[in-house]
Amino acid sequence: MDIFIQQMVNGLTIGSLYALVALGYTMVYGVMRLINFAHGDLVAMSAFVGLTVYTQIFGENITSLVAVITVFVFTAAIVALVGVLLERLAYRPLRTAPRLSAVVSALGAGLVIQNSVMLIWGPNMKIFPSNIFPSTIWSFGGVVITFTQVMILGLSSILMVGLYFFINRTKIGTAIRAVAIDQDAAKLMGINVNRIIMIIFVIGSALGAVAGLFIGVYYRGVTFDMGWMYGLNAFVAAIMGGIGNIPGAMLGGLMLGLFNAMITGYISSQWAETFTFVLLIVILVFRPTGILGEKVAEKV
Amino acid sequence: MMNKTSMIALVLLLISGVYPFFVDSAWLAIGTTFLVFSCVAFSQDIILGRAGVFHMGHAMFFGLGAYTTAIMNVQFGLPILASWAPAVLIPMFVAFVLAGPIIHLRGDYLLVATIGFNIIFIQVLENDVFGLTGGPNGIFGIDVVRLFGFEFASQTYMYYMAFILLGITLFIMRTLDRSKFGRAMFYINKDEIAAQSMGVSVRYYKLYAFIIGAGIAGAAGSMFSVQYSAVSPEAFDVTQSIMFFTIVLVGGSASLPGVLIGTFIMFVLPEVFREFETARYLVFGLAMILTMILRPRGIWPVRFGNIPNFLKKDVK
Amino acid sequence: MSEYILEIKNVTKMFHGLVAINDLSMKVKKGQIYGIIGPNGAGKTTLFNCITGIYTPEMGQILWKGKEIKGTTPYKIAELGILRTFQTIRLFAEMSVAENIMSGRHIKSKQKWYNGVIPTPAYFKDEKEQWMKVGELMEFFNLSQYATTPAGDLSYGVQRRIEMARALAAEPELLILDEPAAGLNEHETQELTDTIRKIQAMGVTIMMIEHDMEMVMSLSEYITVINFGAKISEGLPSFVQDDPVVVEAYIGSDEEDEHE
Ligand SMILES: Nc1ncnc2c1ncn2[C@@H]1O[C@H](COP(=O)(O)OP(=O)(O)O)[C@@H](O)[C@H]1O
Ligand SMILES: [Mg+2]
Repeated sequence: MDIFIQQMVNGLTIGSLYALVALGYTMVYGVMRLINFAHGDLVAMSAFVGLTVYTQIFGENITSLVAVITVFVFTAAIVALVGVLLERLAYRPLRTAPRLSAVVSALGAGLVIQNSVMLIWGPNMKIFPSNIFPSTIWSFGGVVITFTQVMILGLSSILMVGLYFFINRTKIGTAIRAVAIDQDAAKLMGINVNRIIMIIFVIGSALGAVAGLFIGVYYRGVTFDMGWMYGLNAFVAAIMGGIGNIPGAMLGGLMLGLFNAMITGYISSQWAETFTFVLLIVILVFRPTGILGEKVAEKV
Repeated sequence: MMNKTSMIALVLLLISGVYPFFVDSAWLAIGTTFLVFSCVAFSQDIILGRAGVFHMGHAMFFGLGAYTTAIMNVQFGLPILASWAPAVLIPMFVAFVLAGPIIHLRGDYLLVATIGFNIIFIQVLENDVFGLTGGPNGIFGIDVVRLFGFEFASQTYMYYMAFILLGITLFIMRTLDRSKFGRAMFYINKDEIAAQSMGVSVRYYKLYAFIIGAGIAGAAGSMFSVQYSAVSPEAFDVTQSIMFFTIVLVGGSASLPGVLIGTFIMFVLPEVFREFETARYLVFGLAMILTMILRPRGIWPVRFGNIPNFLKKDVK
Repeated sequence: MSEYILEIKNVTKMFHGLVAINDLSMKVKKGQIYGIIGPNGAGKTTLFNCITGIYTPEMGQILWKGKEIKGTTPYKIAELGILRTFQTIRLFAEMSVAENIMSGRHIKSKQKWYNGVIPTPAYFKDEKEQWMKVGELMEFFNLSQYATTPAGDLSYGVQRRIEMARALAAEPELLILDEPAAGLNEHETQELTDTIRKIQAMGVTIMMIEHDMEMVMSLSEYITVINFGAKISEGLPSFVQDDPVVVEAYIGSDEEDEHE
């Protein structure tokens, strides 16, 4: 039973990270029908940017709330800027092109980001300092929960709830939903579609940056090519939940995190990916557009 | 009477026919692999460019062919020739079984499902299921083709075998394009609802594309394993699938010259720039973005209107 | 078997709880030209989508030569001999006109499963036959000069002709036309009227949605009027034309957006 609860804590932690990244995929997909294959690499980049910001501004040993907040805000801002540039340079020129052209462009952009990270920070693993968050741990019986885990769970919950309200309760959120449903109609209603898409990239990239930083803080070792693995898992989570659907990405992320933790805890990590994709395919066989994804019948 | 395209084709045929006599062994191997990869790219194009199925797991079928030959030869001591038919039929069968349940999925959902199959395939190889696949290191010491006591061992033979395989592949592509089957794939690709309303079964022709594509990829895989006399999982992972996917779109979906150009750019050019190890993929990524922006339908887009001449008499 | 080739019995189709077709019934005789009219959004296209298997109605029956075909997939409906055109033209835009029409020959082609890879003498013969038929249709619809032109590059009127040629290429027993005159000029409409008569003379049954009253009244032998998914009137053109209920329905609707 302890193992079960422990794996649940671990699973929810990693699941929250998947969910944050999955939101980036799903929001871009929702408005542009594009799988942003560069998103995972953006997440990886965030970890490196964050590490540099941290060591450059605060040195190795200063930990304070101010330092942590600064690093998060700074990194999110830089990565959001890169996300916006990405959209401007690699996707906007292809908005009217065949859908798959933009996919290739996204794959190319992923290569560019990943290899830039490698050229700037080098091909070797970088290690996050261990003292960014206090090393406090709480244990309940055999179950251990770390301060970092609490931070990850707490902050990602706040961000997700915030995003949910932003999308559903604000004017910009309404505009985002309108653009997702019908770009042309939204344009006729006076919505500036380019601006909405920019906002999507800002939010998606910033959430990805938070996830990337947490990955650094939680796992400590970060590599320039780790974006592929996190990106793929998050993307799978978005698909499971129903891509384009925001609660779906959250649900998919948490579900996949939990599922992975249980498989690793009880069966074997050797087959973790196999189990992930078997689960995905089984879900899709029964629900072709994911768990919360709506089946859109084409109007003839 | 010859148009420009056939002239170019003839020149290319001549150059590639005598290529082995003018290059060193490293470039000969690159040439052979280029031919093999072209076959795989064409088979990917049947599924992606013709039937319009967002398939991003094609390296699995390539790998299935390669591993079939490797396992039959090294683990069971069978001659390479005996593995040819299974190396084609097993991928076809697997394509049928795996694609069946997911073929109705919409574009991107299918894309991630096919990535999933590819990843599962790699894990099966790496975990050395039944002790047959050799785990992460793969299988070494694959034999050469032997026929009537003669062994086709030199790299030059490999090249010409791949050359013949590409010839067969091109013949199939041409036949397909001029048949009910190839056209049905295009109709589905362009407008699924209109195609169905004309009596085209979407499921049947998408599966048809998958099965034929898998068979050709399997044949190429068998050739590949013999060329390098070894197979290992990373040659067939999702990265490779993404490469085949990209080749088709960069070159031009459903365009024979386009796919050849795509293979050249995505596979041969990086070999040329091998010395610029670090910056190579950065430039490569930029080139992918630029190509799509400048030529969204690929470098050499497909041209329709390949109809019999007697129908063109009134065309002005 | 009754004298009716197609019978629609109490069909109801809903979208997310909204009724698009409400308890609709009609009977089409073999060889007839059957007109369906009604204001925009009345559910006419939805009815055609139900017949051709694109939608499955929640209730009712659709009988083709006495056999239930409700819920049959679209490609099987085509194989049964029911072919259609679309209100919003759906051609294979990048493909040539000849290749578009060739799609109609799909169900008539006798190529074997292996002919996609291996050509045989029978395959060559079949291929030739199908293209000849395409040639005939291009002549019938006056499209020969566009044989190699991408269908999407042609004018609206020509595209409507290609769609009809494509459907006719499948040698249908029932041809379903969804607003075939929409977007056509007067001259083209006249030509279309003649063409439809010729198609009827070949023995093809025709069902047609049309807003051009002159055309639909002159062509149809029988007309059903739909409003809000339900039948409000039916009968001979002369009767329907003067039926006060129909006049009412049309005045009540916005005539302006009827030709979109
Ligand atoms: N796929 C669909 N999903 C939801 N509503 C639909 C769909 N297709 C048609 N409708 C609705 O059904 C009603 C009838 O539409 P339609 O059959 O196209 O009308 P008509 O052809 O008579 O102009 C309209 O209100 C339309 O919005
Ligand atoms: Mg309509």
